[in-house]
Amino acid sequence: MAEEYILTRDIIQDHSERMLNIKKYYPYFKLTEGAFSQFGGGRYDELDMGYILMAVLRFFIEENNFREKDVTYDEYKRFMHDIYRRDFAIALDEEEENEVTGYIFDKIKNDGRPFSYTYFDPADKKRKTVRMKLIDSRIKEDTICYYITSDAIEFYLDTKEIKDESSISVAQVLLSKMITTSNFKGGIEVIKRINSEVGRLKARKNEVLNILSFDVFEGTRAYEEFVNTGMRWFEDEQKLFVKNMELLGEAAKRMDAYRDAEGASDSTADIYYLEAELKKAITKHSELLAACTDLQIKADEIIAGAKFSKLRRSFNFKDALRMMMENDDSTVLENVILPLLNLNIKKQFSLTSIDRLLSAKVTAEEKGEKIEKKEAVEYVYEDELEEQRISDNYRAIIRVLADKIESCNIGESFDLRALNMALAEVFGEGIYKNGDYYSMLVHMCQKKSYDIAEVVADTDTFFEAELKAAAGDMTDVAFELSFDDEDKVRLMDMFEISNIYFTRR
Amino acid sequence: MTSRNLEKALDIVSALITGRAVDNRGENAGLYEEYQNNSEVYEYAQIILKKMNLNLFEYNYGLYVSPGENNKTFGYTNEELKRAIGVKLNRELYLCYFIIYNIITRFYNDSGNYTYVEYVKQEDVIGSVDSTLSGIISNLSVLAVDEVEAGSFKELALVWEDMPVVSGEDVSVRASRGSKAGFVKLVFNFLTTEGLMLESDGRYYPKDKFKALIENYFDNYKGRLYEILRGDKDDATH
Repeated sequence: MAEEYILTRDIIQDHSERMLNIKKYYPYFKLTEGAFSQFGGGRYDELDMGYILMAVLRFFIEENNFREKDVTYDEYKRFMHDIYRRDFAIALDEEEENEVTGYIFDKIKNDGRPFSYTYFDPADKKRKTVRMKLIDSRIKEDTICYYITSDAIEFYLDTKEIKDESSISVAQVLLSKMITTSNFKGGIEVIKRINSEVGRLKARKNEVLNILSFDVFEGTRAYEEFVNTGMRWFEDEQKLFVKNMELLGEAAKRMDAYRDAEGASDSTADIYYLEAELKKAITKHSELLAACTDLQIKADEIIAGAKFSKLRRSFNFKDALRMMMENDDSTVLENVILPLLNLNIKKQFSLTSIDRLLSAKVTAEEKGEKIEKKEAVEYVYEDELEEQRISDNYRAIIRVLADKIESCNIGESFDLRALNMALAEVFGEGIYKNGDYYSMLVHMCQKKSYDIAEVVADTDTFFEAELKAAAGDMTDVAFELSFDDEDKVRLMDMFEISNIYFTRR
Repeated sequence: MTSRNLEKALDIVSALITGRAVDNRGENAGLYEEYQNNSEVYEYAQIILKKMNLNLFEYNYGLYVSPGENNKTFGYTNEELKRAIGVKLNRELYLCYFIIYNIITRFYNDSGNYTYVEYVKQEDVIGSVDSTLSGIISNLSVLAVDEVEAGSFKELALVWEDMPVVSGEDVSVRASRGSKAGFVKLVFNFLTTEGLMLESDGRYYPKDKFKALIENYFDNYKGRLYEILRGDKDDATH
């Protein structure tokens, strides 16, 4: 009895709604039926009204909805001009083209009238008319403008963009019917189907995320399809879940009212079982919803990230690994991994260091180091020592020579033999073996006269420098040298020198 | 230059060196604010860390630091790392590096794109290492032992291939050098103590520090890294 009631209600109550849904398709079939067969004697039969209609609607959506402007007849005409050239192999002269374009436009506009059809409404027991326009017009600044109606947009989108309702919704509608017909056992089966669909969508969500991770372009396509076929129905599905819970609540109340009737207890158990299952399904569906919201956020991030990374080159881990493996050197891995690790701030002795530490002898007491002030050591090199020696010897000899000269009156002289004897008295005969004595004589003989006062004022030769140093206060000594090459002075039977006469001035 | 700013910069450096977090959430949020808003503090911190051969990275309102190339003071030596991970031989250490690299590739294809994989599990990593070494392993069936050079990928593949997935008594997969699962567990334990990953119920999630270093270090130093990968290990032109 109840089943019959539902059946009748579906047929009668919902009929009007179904007719209204059909209306958006009506103009299409009305227009395409024999559209060009009668026009112009069938000359333009090659043209396809169905295609042209869809193209014109898309053009209007583009202009009205995307560019937010109305369309003038001239704009429509230009659009049609391109259609004929591009899509149909038909040669039209200007007049013919104007004629055809006008004809099509009138047809789509239905000469300004709405497309209409009549149906019988069984609920009201009346015949009703459904009306719909594809293109409407208005006047703007003295120009007639055309725009697409919302019904036409809905029709256009319904042909492709909007797919069938989700299978979850379909299953829920079925579930509603089962609850209202008290077929609770069947309802449990339906819920199982809903759960499996929720599970499938969850798995699909993970697949989409995975594709997005590896290929943004392919992933974006998969994501958009997932949004269109799955996610867009979530709201409706949620509403249906609520509705079914309400229906189930009502069914439970009804059962309470008839709880004494035969089989009522079985039904009550089924209701509670169904209710529990439905609650589980709702929880799972909510989880799916949350997961998909998360997917939305991540998809946006991935797409934004991909846009940025297109602009800058990144370090590609797979390429890098391939390079490492080609070179067959695993040690470079440390250059890649070590920078990721924490700073090593806990320093440890190696075992060998500890070993050394333990075996090392330790002094019993630490003694302080005594620091003394020391003169900086000056190094004297050998040549400096030689020079010092020569200088000392020269000065000593010069002093003897100077004393000898000083002891003479002016104009008096003495020879080398006398000097040798004076030197031998002071230094002993060893002086005759001293090379410095002979070298001094050589230096001295470079000039024939010396005046110490002049030498002090202006030093010229090496001998004069030594003479000046040795002179001290003997500034009034002056002497001349004369040489006797015939008279040879022999010393220790080893050395022979021409005699020299020293005359005081 | 003010000594206050220098002090703040040194506080930041000191916190980073001693492993304390410097971000906008924790105890050092004030220091992070200073770093962000005071250009002198920012500059000092950068200079000090650079002179210490440390790399500084910013990620998700936090600062992270890592040792620069050949940093003898703050870097690990091989011996120290072997002790820290729990392996004994150099080839085992390099296998650990290789496993870490495979973990990175589970999350990143390149330094610019996070794959949005939320976590990895031990079996994922074993599978990944298996497949990356598969090319080499397939050539291992007939092999002259002398051909295996120290430090080559063949050597790593041999270590890996010679281990069972899990050892006989290893029912609850303990970290050990005796099985592939145990080896991966050793690496995961190490990464967890290094603060790079977080473990929950056998799932390993990358922490912010992991993301900060991967997304910044590899991007900033890609030129030098490619040089090294091409074999110019000692080129000091960087």
